[in-house]
Amino acid sequence: MERSHIRNFCIIAHIDHGKSTLADRFLEQTGLTRGSRVEVEQVLDSMDLERERGVTIKAKAVRLPYKADDGDDYQLNLIDTPGHVDFSYEVSRALAACEGAVLVVDASQGIQAQTIANVYVAMEHNLAIIPVVNKIDLQGADPEAVASQICDVIGFSRDEVLLASAKEGIGTPEILQAVVRLVPPPSGDEAAPLRALVFDSKYDSYKGVIAYVRVIDGSVERGHRLRMMSADIAIEALEIGSLTPGPVPADRLATGEVGYVATGLKDVGLCRVGDTLTDAEQPAAEPLPGYEEAKPMVFSGLYPTQPNDFGPLREALEKLRLNDAALSFEPETSVALGPGFRCGYLGLLHMEIVQERLEREYDLDLLITAPSVEYRVRKTNGEEIVIDNPAALPPPTEVMEIAEPWMTITVVCPDRYIGAVMELVTGRRGVFDKMEYLQGEASRQNEDSVQAGERRVSLQYQIPLAEILVDFHDKLKSMTQGYASLDYAFSHYEAAKLQKLDILVNSEPVDALSLITHSENAHAQGKQLVQRLRQLIPRQLFDVPIQAAVGGRIVARETVRALRKNVLAKCYGGDVTRKRKLLEKQKAGKKRMKRVGNVEIPQEAFMAVLRLERKS
Amino acid sequence: MADTISLYVHIPFCTVKCGYCDFNAYAGSDHLIPAYSQALIKEAQLWRKATENRPVTTVFFGGGTPSLMPVEEMRTVVDGLRSAFDIAADAEFSLEANPNSLDEPYLAGLLGLGFNRLSIGVQSFHDEELKALDREHSASEAGDAFRAARSAGFTNVSIDLMFGLPEQEMSSWQGSIEEALELEPDHISLYALTVEPGTPLARDVARGRTPSPNPDAQADQYEWTEERLEKAAYEHYEISNWAKPGYRCEHNLTYWRCREYLGLGAGAHSYLDGARFAVAALPTKYLELVDESFKSLENGSDTKMRQVVSGESVTPELDMADTLILGLRLIEGVSLPDFHEGFGVDALERFSEELSEPFEFSLVEHVDAHLRLTPKGRLLGNEVFARLLPD
Ligand SMILES: Nc1nc2c(ncn2[C@@H]2O[C@H](COP(=O)(O)OP(=O)(O)O)[C@@H](O)[C@H]2O)c(=O)[nH]1
Ligand code: SF4
Repeated sequence: MERSHIRNFCIIAHIDHGKSTLADRFLEQTGLTRGSRVEVEQVLDSMDLERERGVTIKAKAVRLPYKADDGDDYQLNLIDTPGHVDFSYEVSRALAACEGAVLVVDASQGIQAQTIANVYVAMEHNLAIIPVVNKIDLQGADPEAVASQICDVIGFSRDEVLLASAKEGIGTPEILQAVVRLVPPPSGDEAAPLRALVFDSKYDSYKGVIAYVRVIDGSVERGHRLRMMSADIAIEALEIGSLTPGPVPADRLATGEVGYVATGLKDVGLCRVGDTLTDAEQPAAEPLPGYEEAKPMVFSGLYPTQPNDFGPLREALEKLRLNDAALSFEPETSVALGPGFRCGYLGLLHMEIVQERLEREYDLDLLITAPSVEYRVRKTNGEEIVIDNPAALPPPTEVMEIAEPWMTITVVCPDRYIGAVMELVTGRRGVFDKMEYLQGEASRQNEDSVQAGERRVSLQYQIPLAEILVDFHDKLKSMTQGYASLDYAFSHYEAAKLQKLDILVNSEPVDALSLITHSENAHAQGKQLVQRLRQLIPRQLFDVPIQAAVGGRIVARETVRALRKNVLAKCYGGDVTRKRKLLEKQKAGKKRMKRVGNVEIPQEAFMAVLRLERKS
Repeated sequence: MADTISLYVHIPFCTVKCGYCDFNAYAGSDHLIPAYSQALIKEAQLWRKATENRPVTTVFFGGGTPSLMPVEEMRTVVDGLRSAFDIAADAEFSLEANPNSLDEPYLAGLLGLGFNRLSIGVQSFHDEELKALDREHSASEAGDAFRAARSAGFTNVSIDLMFGLPEQEMSSWQGSIEEALELEPDHISLYALTVEPGTPLARDVARGRTPSPNPDAQADQYEWTEERLEKAAYEHYEISNWAKPGYRCEHNLTYWRCREYLGLGAGAHSYLDGARFAVAALPTKYLELVDESFKSLENGSDTKMRQVVSGESVTPELDMADTLILGLRLIEGVSLPDFHEGFGVDALERFSEELSEPFEFSLVEHVDAHLRLTPKGRLLGNEVFARLLPD
């Protein structure tokens, strides 16, 4: 295809604003599928977990053959972007592979925080942006208000904003026409040595690792020896081609084209998003800019409930990592829990996905410790260490200073919730940065139509990551009746008065229950935690004291009283089988718990710290 | 084989279904009684051959509410049993009964059929508690029924009571026990109320309409009762059972001693020739399947037991666990020499790991060549039993 007739674009949308439905329409319009929703879902949203959570985790690409109004045939490459803030690096790489983006905003919801953040990234990459107000068919839709909001926030004029209903197919041709008209064809040097940007990769059990690439300079030829520049390894282009939406092999991907390269690699970690593919014989001098190593932000311990599941757990993690280069793990041993793994995740959602897949797909009974961030500790002897496990914090006498990661967060919501958001954030040590109304000049004239308290604002804060790890998003949603959206990005490290809270069960410290907390909260949290644990730890054959200690001093104590009665009453007319079943159930229940010393502790207990209230 | 066996006969009919009950019992199906009696007779015939040469030492009619069966209907059944099985002349012959409409003529009729032991489901001597349990009778009817049994001539009468009802005060429980003792029953069974999944009680508890029984209160009541009944000269012989000397329930002892028994009737369980199995629970299904089996037997086509719908063969491993789990329910415990004779292994050695915590926390003890639960262990039996199950 002539380079002038190629358009590479993506869709930027908040979850549920209609990205998949619109992509579905594009496919239909271009004749790739016959309106079968299921097939399209398979194209853009294939993992079950993704569908359940309404996020697309892995970006993929579809090539759409399109006959435009000018009568010419075009090659439109739609590149899918992950929809969650944990994957912002992956989003940025997908955007870097495009020249344009269709911005989709739900006509009944308005623009959301993450969407704004992604649009800014797209603008940094000089993408042409085509704003679309979707779901105009909806009862509660206010397309004009949302259009003017988009104009104010991103800086369009009203006539640039398209109105659509992806569900009804309204506006789809106009959007495709706009893509052809407004998105520039790819530039790039055909004669230069090959540079192809990897914007996604996945492991395929037949073909090995498949890299999804956008050719920036030069071209990829089948059978050529290639090089991953950042990973610094050689590969061979075993198969190359495009997705329409199934893989269609080809001999060559030319400058500006989008497609896949089967690399034969066994480990996606070697084919990281953002890496540059070049020719092994004629390598490019410089890789493409923007490559970053995966940087885990959140950590937790994963332990098999049954010690002999350690091997299977390691195998499962290794398999998962085949397809998830951002997952990191290394063996660690807890005094209380025995051998397990410390895992690093991009964020909380990533953590939940990994844990759920381990339990669902690999049928493992896991014990998961509360998530932690990475602390930088300066010791009195001048040494600096980094810890991602509260248990590893040196004793207070050896600690000079502990610094924790802070995030910049942006909340977009109607202005009547400003007070609630402010309270939530400052209650978690957050600091206010700035506030902006999203309706500016352009909508002043119809200000009357916007009810008091309904104007959307963007609030920006600095807040410690540890404070938003747990239930922050849920709390934000519930305090704002679901109207607030959240975006966050790493900001900086900052020293704070942090202390370790230790928990002793039956007088033994349980390292996996330790947490690092702000000194102000330590006592109150210790108290709450032992109370929660008293409810969660089942009664044993003996009294079990549960204590919280800060800096070696006991600050709270509760006792789980010894069990007194657990016996079947009846004989059930000789139904011994049934009696045995009941006992087996009790036995299985015990098995699911972790034995720490003499005490059986259920999984929920290790998550109890998640439910702690912040304020003393 | 000249081993004796026990016979259980299940009567699945009740006038109302109690809220806590998850037995195989049905209200409003009384019209099935005549057909059901016939089916029992046929089922007895089906088992005749398999139980030849095995004298029956105990017969137990359980339910449901066996006392709903009119005497004439009962006679048909009992005659049928006698013609199919070799029932010993001195066999213990028990019947479970509910206090309502237990009058002297009816009881005399049962006595005439050979019943010599009566177990009355009193549950409580407080009307408000009876009401909360959905029981149909009153406290005074329970006393009347007991006296009627005595005057009809029953010399072996047991009373069932339930403790640990939601919000039941200790004093209320003590009152029921004292009332029971006044009647001087020969045997007493005491069961802690258990919330069984799927029952109306379980739903009420889940919805917060009824508090769940408090295990600590149940433990207090149990401990008080043990002392009280000992003073009244009852022997505590099984976790839930007390008897005057010579009045232990022989039938139930066969379960706890892991001996064999044959169960007849819908949902009945058997342990025969090393296998445990169960009959279809739904009465109409039971009637249909027994009929089919009986026809095939009569016309000589096969001897299949179609009414038997589930079963397991008891491996030696399971047998060992069952022997301990059931035997430990007896206050005397499990005889270690007998265990050794039966299985060729020493129970304490074979289960040393499983028993280490029960010993450590004084749930079990080794006394007089027996392994038995301690008084503390009686309330925590499941903690011991669950550990003894094979993996
Ligand atoms: N009424 C209406 N519903 C739509 C429209 N577009 C998408 N939806 C619905 O909105 C929901 C989310 O759409 P989906 O495409 O899965 O959103 P995604 O999460 O952005 O991919 C689905 O139930 C769609 O059927 C539209 O134009 N009108
Ligand atoms: S009388 Fe007994 S068997 Fe019948 S419903 Fe009540 S508890 Fe259940």
